[in-house]
Order: sequence, then C-alpha cells, then structure tokens
Amino acid sequence: MMTALQSHTPVLDEPRVTRGEAAVSIRGLTRSFGGPNILDDLDLELEAGSFTALLGRSGSGKSTLLRTLAGLDTAPAGTVSVPDRRAVVFQEPRLLPWKKVWRNVSLGLRRGDARARASAALSELGLSHRLDAWPLTLSGGEAQRVALARALVREPKLMLLDEPFAALDALTRLRMQALVGKLWQMHDLTVLLVTHDVDEALLLADRAVVLIDGRIGADVAIPLDRPRHHGDPEFIRLRQQLLGTLGIDENGLDGGG
Amino acid sequence: MASATLTVERSVARAPSRAVSKAFDGAHRFLVPVLILVVWQALDSFGWINARLMPSPIRVAEAFWQLLVTGQLLGNLWISLVRVAVGLGIGVFLGIAFGLFAGLSRFGENTVDSTLQMVRTLPHLALIPLFILWFGIGETPKIALIALGSVFPVYLNLFAGIRAVDRKVIEAATTLDLTRAEIIWNVILPGALPSFLVGLRYAVGIAWLTLVVAEQVNANSGIGYLVMNARDFLETDVIFVGLIIYAILGLTTDQMVRAIERRALAWRPTFTDAQQPNRRAA
Repeated sequence: MMTALQSHTPVLDEPRVTRGEAAVSIRGLTRSFGGPNILDDLDLELEAGSFTALLGRSGSGKSTLLRTLAGLDTAPAGTVSVPDRRAVVFQEPRLLPWKKVWRNVSLGLRRGDARARASAALSELGLSHRLDAWPLTLSGGEAQRVALARALVREPKLMLLDEPFAALDALTRLRMQALVGKLWQMHDLTVLLVTHDVDEALLLADRAVVLIDGRIGADVAIPLDRPRHHGDPEFIRLRQQLLGTLGIDENGLDGGG
Repeated sequence: MASATLTVERSVARAPSRAVSKAFDGAHRFLVPVLILVVWQALDSFGWINARLMPSPIRVAEAFWQLLVTGQLLGNLWISLVRVAVGLGIGVFLGIAFGLFAGLSRFGENTVDSTLQMVRTLPHLALIPLFILWFGIGETPKIALIALGSVFPVYLNLFAGIRAVDRKVIEAATTLDLTRAEIIWNVILPGALPSFLVGLRYAVGIAWLTLVVAEQVNANSGIGYLVMNARDFLETDVIFVGLIIYAILGLTTDQMVRAIERRALAWRPTFTDAQQPNRRAA
C-alpha cells in the first residue's frame, strides 16, 4: 500500500543531522482565555529539519500552542516567529466532502498545474488510484493520508501534526506513523507532532517536549537509532522517564489526566 | 484476495434476481392506485354514486381531452406556469439575497433576521384582501403573494445551512491560506447547498399552494380560474382535471428539484452508494 515511497531516495537510518538554525522561535508567549494562563511565558525553539514531539496531558496547552503556530490563534506581536510556508494536519482529516480528492489536495495552490501537483503528492502517499474519489467514500486511513498529501503539496517548511493518528485503528496507526517518519526524512521539513502517546513520540521524534500547565516541564533528546524498536532498553528507559514526567507510572496508575 | 473474488461472484449471481425483485417492487407500488381507479369506475358504472358529484375516471379523461383540443387547458396552464415561475423566481432570489446577507455576516443577521422572523409568522395567504386593494386583480397580487410565500423557506434554510457549516473544516481551509472570498466559495456555499435545496423544495410546494388560492379568489385565467368556472356550471369532471393538473405540476417540479439535488450532491454517500454500491468497501 505504501510502495510508492520506496521508489524515492533511500531512507536514512540514522537520526538526521539538523542544521542548527531555528525554524520556529517562541519567546515569552503567554495565552489565556479569561481564566488561568493556558501558555505561561513559554520559550521554545525548533531547529530547522528537526522532528519534535509535543507531549502533555489534556489541558496542558499543547493544542493552544499548535494553533498559535498554525496562525489559527493570534499571538502577541514579537513572541512567535514561524516560517510562512506551514501546513497543518488535524486529528480528523477535515476534507471538503463536496470536492474530489485531488481538488481537496490542490485547494489554495496558486501556481503551476494544480492537478499534476496534487497527483504527485497523492502518489507519494500511495493514493494515485483515489484521485477522483469523493472523500466520503474513503476509509479513515485513506482520508488521513489525503490530509497529509494536502499538507505536503504546499511544500511546507513547518509541518504541524495535531494528534493525526489518534482516531485511526491500531494497524492503520502503525502504518501512518511509519509513513510520516519517511516523509520527514525525504522532505526538507521541520515537524511538530502533538500527541498523547509516549510510544509514538519515541518512535518518530528526535526530541520530546513535555508541556505542564503551559510551561515546558521536560525537554528530552531522543538519540535512538532508526528504525526504532519498542524492546530497545534505551527506548524503555526513555519511555519510563517521559511517563514519569507526565505523572503516570508504566502500569498507567496515578493517571487522571 | 479470496474474499474479494467471492463478493464479486456473489454480486453477479444476485444481479438478475435483484432486477426481478426491483421490477416486482415497482409493480407492487402501482397496485393500489390502479385498484382504486378500477373500483371508482365500477361504482360509477353501476350507478352506486352520484355521477354528477363524482364523475368516473373515464369521464374525467374525456373532459381532459376536450379541454386539450379546445386549447383551453394549455392556454390556462401556461398562464399559471408563468405566474409560479415569476413569483418563485422573485421569492427565491430574495431568499438567497437575504440568506447570504444574514448568514455571512453578523451585521447582516442583525439587520434583517428579526424583521424576517416576524413577517414569517404571518400566514402569507391572509394578505390576499390587502394585496387586492393594493395591487388590484391583475397579475401583480398573485405574483407578489407567491414570491412572499417562497421567500421564507429559502431564507431560513440557507441561513441555517450557512451557519451549520463545520467550523473545523473552515479552520482547515484557513490553514491553506484561502482568502475569505475563496472560503465562502469553496467551503461555506457548498456546505450550505444541501440545506438550501431543502428550502427550495419547500418553496416550490408553497408556490403551487399559493397559486391555487390566489387564482380561486380572483382570476379570469389560469388553472384555478378553470376550476372555479367549472364549479359555477357544475362541471365536476373539469374540477377533477384541474386537481390532477395541480398534482402533476407539483410532482414534476418536486422531481426537478430532486434531480438538481442528485447532480449537485453527488458527493454524498446516500447518492453515490446507489450508483456504486461497492465503493465504500475499498
């Protein structure tokens, strides 16, 4: 199903060397909606080309942060610097059901042959046969891959993923995680992945940032070789560390989040 | 793979029996109406009901033929059609204009919604006496009444449809750097279309209803005039012809709107599934 990917450049097996410059820079960002601060004097930099997982319990402010970076919530001037070319993939595909798949992907493209570009992006995600399908006839995994294609076709510098696999079944989720990992390695992308899932963060990201009450509670490098394995002792150690930061032991006790 | 071949075989094997049962269903649906006609004709033929008040189907058919060859039917039908077309056209146009104005902006909603909601509660047919005093007994009061009746279903449904468009999808479109005009054109209007078409179907029904009343109150042409004239001469068969014409007109225009729906809403699984039953499985 994902064979289209293999015809491209070889996939790197080591963590990608990042270039040191910041693609995203946040300085002293405070956000509140009338109550306590959702984001509280937050500082965060994302290196260009890095893959960062943003973890946190519900209500920790991670969605607000992602929305701010996506430009959906306005931030106070001077606090947030992001690339102009950004793309967002949400938990739901959020496709326009009245437009065929390729028109969903090409929506908003202003240059070039829209259908050809949409077709190329969909092929990369193994969906070249679904170009003229209606979105409501797609399976959940297919629809989410269309949403990924819609993000990729814009050739973004920054890709914001808001729990994009949370609504998928377990097998489809594993496939999608592998797919996103490969897309990141083949494109010049900075990725910020918002997730609840510590394992997902450890499989994909080279850095995990844990938000607690609108502040950065932990900032952990994930220097694991790729492809990664759940059984790797270092994987297990990082897993316990991150779960500990989130306030849950490995049996899921004392959760409450 | 094995399961895929299995389903194909099964659907091929089932195809003929499905066609037969579909034909049977079709015939079944016509059974009762045909039975009613037969019994009705029998009652008349045996003289069990007063043929003056309740003409037999055959006499109604004869009256229909008479009206057709003398040209009365088509002439009056044309006049009625024009009244509905013009009135409905004006009503739908205004309904769309108000619906867009109120649906797309808070300012528009505050400007027109309260007034329209108040006028809406007035039964528009109650305005007939006033319209006759204002506009006389020509075409104007009839067209104005049809327009007035069809404004509201279009306005209400379009307004509700625009406001019901999924916020999340609009948000996603915003992240694609669409301008406000592009979002309205690509997201909001197509999203409101199903609801608008429901409003349009209501409007068409109301337009015919209004025509019937308006033509019977005062008119010297049109199907309603034909019917009222027939009443004066006790021509019940002609009255029946008029009723059947109304039914056919209502049905036809409703089917027209449904045909528009099928084309415009082809993206909905309810419509696509009927044509391509196996698409969702993939």
